[in-house]
Amino acid sequence: MKKTHNRREFIRSCSRYSLGIALAGVTGYALKDATALQWVWQVDPFKCTYCGRCATHCVLNPSAVKCVHAYALCGYCDLCGGYLKPGHIDRDTAAENQLCPTAAIERKFIEEPYYEYRINEDLCIGCAKCVEGCSAFGNGSLHLQIRHNLCVNCNECAIARVCPSDAIKRVPAYDPYLVKGSFSDDTNT
Amino acid sequence: MNKRWIHIILLLAVGLIAVIVIADYLSTRPGKRPPNPFAFDVSDYESVEESLISHRETRQIRITDTKAVHIASNENNIFLLTAGYLQTLTPRGEEINSISLGQAATSLFAFPDNSVIIAFENYLEYYSAEGNLLHRSDSAPDNALFTAVSTMENRIYVADAGNNQVVVYDLALKYLDTFKGESGVSTLHGFILPSRHFDMAVNADNELWIVNPGLHYIQNYAADGRFRRQWGKPSFTPEGFSGCCNPSYITFLHDGRFVTSEKGLVRIKIYKESGILESVVASPEAFKNGLKAPAIATLENDIVVALDFDRSMIRIFEPK
Repeated sequence: MKKTHNRREFIRSCSRYSLGIALAGVTGYALKDATALQWVWQVDPFKCTYCGRCATHCVLNPSAVKCVHAYALCGYCDLCGGYLKPGHIDRDTAAENQLCPTAAIERKFIEEPYYEYRINEDLCIGCAKCVEGCSAFGNGSLHLQIRHNLCVNCNECAIARVCPSDAIKRVPAYDPYLVKGSFSDDTNT
Repeated sequence: MNKRWIHIILLLAVGLIAVIVIADYLSTRPGKRPPNPFAFDVSDYESVEESLISHRETRQIRITDTKAVHIASNENNIFLLTAGYLQTLTPRGEEINSISLGQAATSLFAFPDNSVIIAFENYLEYYSAEGNLLHRSDSAPDNALFTAVSTMENRIYVADAGNNQVVVYDLALKYLDTFKGESGVSTLHGFILPSRHFDMAVNADNELWIVNPGLHYIQNYAADGRFRRQWGKPSFTPEGFSGCCNPSYITFLHDGRFVTSEKGLVRIKIYKESGILESVVASPEAFKNGLKAPAIATLENDIVVALDFDRSMIRIFEPK
């Protein structure tokens, strides 16, 4: 005998299906958001021209851009172009000999004649003065990076807007740093 | 329209232009380049006293469609190493010969008869003047990076920046010896190489001079690798060598005077045999906005040939 549906059963079925579809939709939407590629801002060190705007144009003060050190590229020089002022009086740690305006580079003796240079990120303002000195006279191991523990990831990066060399670009959040040594300058191959 | 209205319109136009100019002055649009408050300033050292400059630039040879790698010379010709090719040029820039190398080379040495030894990353090749391959060395062990080659008393000396050492071969490119410049008390640490700049040259008196760039010294070694003497000092003034890794290149004039080339504060200088500064061939002003040390070679009559990597050209400097 053919089964007949009354109105009550019909409404109940419709409600069930609607709820199921709504739940599946919400789950799908949440999954999409969770798995979508996120992007963050980063400095391409091979495009950077050390203009100083990372220090002056970030919405944060001090800037979220900091100097980082690729130790594998460093020559551990005694006469470091990124640490010592041009025309320094002595080759030591005295303030008048240091290039960094905030003394954010710490120099440590390793063995004659090698010295290690560490960046104190609490003091670094991202001015790139040391980066320019290191790139001109050394190997370019000092370079700028946006630190993502500080960066608020603005929709439109205030530094990217004024960067004269288009060095600030979006990179995937799962690989947020462009540290020298771990990637190469693809414009110079 | 009466005069009064014309004056009002003109005043408004002037006011509008003033507002636009001031707004542009205050704006931070990407095309504007305000002075960098944190600029790395070496301008105090860029200009050199005119009386110290001994040469003037007389000619430029543009290098097109290829990446220049190194330069060398003998009494008559310039040898230009580019990506995959060796070109032999007259001092006027006319091509005499060209050899395809297949691989990217790093340095070269030219004999008076136009035969050439070419250094690749970890091996050498010896070509006749006609471009025929005469000898090829075995590949050097791991990390080798040959950056300079020179000859003395039938031996070939190769600077290996990857292993901080000099490798010695015979003229058939058979391995003979290696030394690290650690033979003297004052050279305890041997060659200090912060970067891949590691050059050497042999003068007319058959003396092997090797740059120790981390110490800013130019050091003289005997044929067997014994240290003899050294000179040099770090300084941003013309008397010394600035930054690290300098001098990046050296060569000799025919009477034995040194010619040096530096990076960072780019300049080419001549030193007497004793190591005292004699003159400046090209001051940093001649290499404005450049950072790379030009590779150098010399021709007769104290002519200095510089390979300007930043401008991709050969620049000829002749005595004034």
